[in-house]
Amino acid sequence: MGRARDVRLAYLLLAPALLMLSTALAYPVGWEVWTSFTDLSPLKDGATAYVGLANYSRLLSDAAFWQAAFVTVGYAVVTSVAKLALGLGFALLLVRPFRGRVLVFLAVFLPWAYPAGVSVIGWYWTLNPPTTTAYAPFMGHLKYVVDGTLGTGAWAFTSVILFNIWRGSSFIGVLLLAGINAIPPELFECAVLESKSPWRRFWLVTVPLLKPFLALAVFLSLTSAFADLANVWMLTAGRIVFPVIGTHAYFLAIKAGQFGPASALSLTVVPVLLGVLLVLFRLFDPLRREAT
Amino acid sequence: MAQVMMKDLNKKYDEVHAVKDVNLHIRDKEFIVLVGPSGCGKSTTLRMVAGLEEITAGEITIGDRVVNDLPPKDRDIAMVFQNYALYPHMTVYDNMAFGLKMRKFPKTEIAKRVGEAAEILGIQELLKRKPRQLSGGQRQRVAVGRAIVRHPQVFLFDEPLSNLDAKLRVQMRVELKRLHDRLETTAIYVTHDQVEAMTLGDRVVVMKDGWIQQVGEPLELYGRPANRFVAGFIGSPSMNFVEMTIAEANGALWADTPGIRVKVPPASASRLGPYKGQKVTLGIRPEDLHVATGSDSADYSFDTVVDVVEPLGSEILLDVKAGSNVIVARVDPTVRAKLHDKMRLSLHPERVHFFDQKTELAI
Repeated sequence: MGRARDVRLAYLLLAPALLMLSTALAYPVGWEVWTSFTDLSPLKDGATAYVGLANYSRLLSDAAFWQAAFVTVGYAVVTSVAKLALGLGFALLLVRPFRGRVLVFLAVFLPWAYPAGVSVIGWYWTLNPPTTTAYAPFMGHLKYVVDGTLGTGAWAFTSVILFNIWRGSSFIGVLLLAGINAIPPELFECAVLESKSPWRRFWLVTVPLLKPFLALAVFLSLTSAFADLANVWMLTAGRIVFPVIGTHAYFLAIKAGQFGPASALSLTVVPVLLGVLLVLFRLFDPLRREAT
Repeated sequence: MAQVMMKDLNKKYDEVHAVKDVNLHIRDKEFIVLVGPSGCGKSTTLRMVAGLEEITAGEITIGDRVVNDLPPKDRDIAMVFQNYALYPHMTVYDNMAFGLKMRKFPKTEIAKRVGEAAEILGIQELLKRKPRQLSGGQRQRVAVGRAIVRHPQVFLFDEPLSNLDAKLRVQMRVELKRLHDRLETTAIYVTHDQVEAMTLGDRVVVMKDGWIQQVGEPLELYGRPANRFVAGFIGSPSMNFVEMTIAEANGALWADTPGIRVKVPPASASRLGPYKGQKVTLGIRPEDLHVATGSDSADYSFDTVVDVVEPLGSEILLDVKAGSNVIVARVDPTVRAKLHDKMRLSLHPERVHFFDQKTELAI
């Protein structure tokens, strides 16, 4: 009888978390999946009809979808690579003591610590000074050159990418710094005893030891880029020339009232991210047991 | 073939002076142990030899090369760390081969050396495993193996047995000693455990607060401690210390305190002459006390009351009180003693130590 009571207690203790997850996560996702199979729209009178895979098949033949998907993948890959490289650099810089480390740490940490809205305005004003400054003409010229070469909106999108890298590398830097600090220092010292080349030590020791943290960083970075809406929206104030999946779905749902297609669109990133997650777990899961 | 010389070695951090004027000549093939309480500078000294810490002042020579400015890799040393420092992502084989791979040794040579070391340490069947699949003792063997394959001039051991349980520690201690006899390589071994120091070291260096207190063979440290700290640090249970006044009576010197009055042994009398009328610290090891019998001289006996009885099997530790002095005696297991029993103890006159109260140096 003791065991039955234990089981009941276990469920009781789990209940708040389950309730939270099911209301905040499972219900909306379930609703979205269901919606993606319907023609639900606030602009339409009458009953909502089940349309099967129609929303999805229409997507696949839509050039706008492919453009958004292409831009999204590019955006995610470019920013992730840059954030990982910069973040790792920050972490390696900050792991050793030096004069002024606190200030450098603050400079690295603050872009991420501030709320996105505040960081965005700071970034926007950096690129588009609100008052006349020494470099305001230069920034204006830069925008003109970039847009002139790559097409209208290129500068705006470049600034979105730079902003993502700036803020994201801050987060990844702090994450990897924590990761390096969690590794016993003897593992690095042992390598110092065997090799003079920091480069060799980095690739043979630091990177393998950091793998679990690097995997987490890659995943978080890709996820945030794939699902990005806020950064793009806030920085460009909705004047979007290069839509990503997130902004395109927002347009469809909120501006055009097409809940069904919008749901289908935003769900397309799920299999991609699941695939990435699976690969990363395969490659880097430190708890994976080898057969002995 | 390498001796290690430390000349006026100093290490200062911002506010801490961790190692002070250390001078040490470690002979070729010698097993030397640095021992002392935490913060005594022993690990810092070792890490300066390894090149993991910069030398603030002084000189370290390995073989005939001054290594102060040599990177660790070129010092021809191999180090074993306390927490093994095995790479979790590498197999045992790769861990042992790591140093050789970093130095770009040919594959066949690596395989040969790893095979040899694995055989010496009895870990051949573990080579394909990952460190997390090993027990603590096995991990430590791998860590030692990683050092052996390098055929270094000097082995550096930084508390290598501290993470093992007591039983395994004793076993590994014996193995390390055997290994050193076989490899005949100079070794510097750091520990806070005086038993490890005594059993492993050809010579032992006792350190405290960054200073070397005494360098000597184990029995020399035990028998002739240079100062009160070494006397108390070496030996378990620790030496008893009693503050006593030196006085002359009946043509002899006596050490006196309420509850204990013993004659100064003739061998020490001349050195204690100048202390007449002054206080000194008398030191006597628990094993140099025994229950007095009729044949023991009254000059070296005193009355006590039993306070605690600790029967250990092979011996009994008696905590006794003589006046207000608490003294530990290690007595024969046949002694029957109960709490509050009166007991007359005798000390071994040739094994009494005296220490100056100000300098704490042996008199």
